[in-house]
Amino acid sequence: MNRSLVILLSALVLGFALFGGSYFAGQRACRMTRSADDLSWLCDEFHLGDAEMARIQKLHEGYLPKCAEMCAKIAAKKSELETALNGSTNVNLVAQQKLTELAALRAQCQAQMLRHFTEVSQTMPPEQGRRYLAEMQRLTLGFHEQTESSMSGSAGHEHHH
Amino acid sequence: MNKENINPDQGSAEASDARLGALLRESRVAPTLPPRFQEGVWRRIEEAAAPAKSNGGIAWLDALAALVLRPRLALATAAVLIVAGALLGVRDGNQMAHQDAQARYLAVVAPNSLR
Repeated sequence: MNRSLVILLSALVLGFALFGGSYFAGQRACRMTRSADDLSWLCDEFHLGDAEMARIQKLHEGYLPKCAEMCAKIAAKKSELETALNGSTNVNLVAQQKLTELAALRAQCQAQMLRHFTEVSQTMPPEQGRRYLAEMQRLTLGFHEQTESSMSGSAGHEHHH
Repeated sequence: MNKENINPDQGSAEASDARLGALLRESRVAPTLPPRFQEGVWRRIEEAAAPAKSNGGIAWLDALAALVLRPRLALATAAVLIVAGALLGVRDGNQMAHQDAQARYLAVVAPNSLR
């Protein structure tokens, strides 16, 4: 192979290696230096002070056991639903009842979550609080809205009742 | 050969040299050329010219390789690549760390079963 070609290819490979190596090193260093605290995002995103963070921390610690309790109830109800559906070729009455109960539990849990978001937003400056609440609603409830709108708005998809 | 004309005792040294030169010229043997000599010469000329022609096509490659091998330029390029890579990495790392932190918060306050 031509010597010049070998030199140029080697230089190119070396250049890529240098760029890639420093890119990943910078990225890794940046990610590792960031706090692994659950609430660090709130502090960064909404520019909160120590006093506000302390209040939010207290609310957060009060909310977590309630959330865990609701999650356990939902998991138990899902298990009951799976048992009701097991071996069945259609949705029987028991399964339908379990679905209703599961939906009610989820709604209860979502309401509790939204109440928590509202409480947290009230500890922030008004503008940041509004932004936080809107962002949390978008992130937690938006998924269903997107799914529903994509289902109802899809071209050629018609419901016949 | 006219050996009788070579006499160191006659004439000046210059005349003797001139005569000697003439004698040498006369005595030069004209060698017979080997068969297909002319054809061989042309072939060798063409062979010598051929690599020069092909080198002309990749001359820019050689020039570029020579440029790459300049120590100052190589060092400067390496420094620029390292700095640019690190800056981009830090920028992307910040964005990813921000997204990670958001995902961590959401996972705690809004488990997947609710979303």
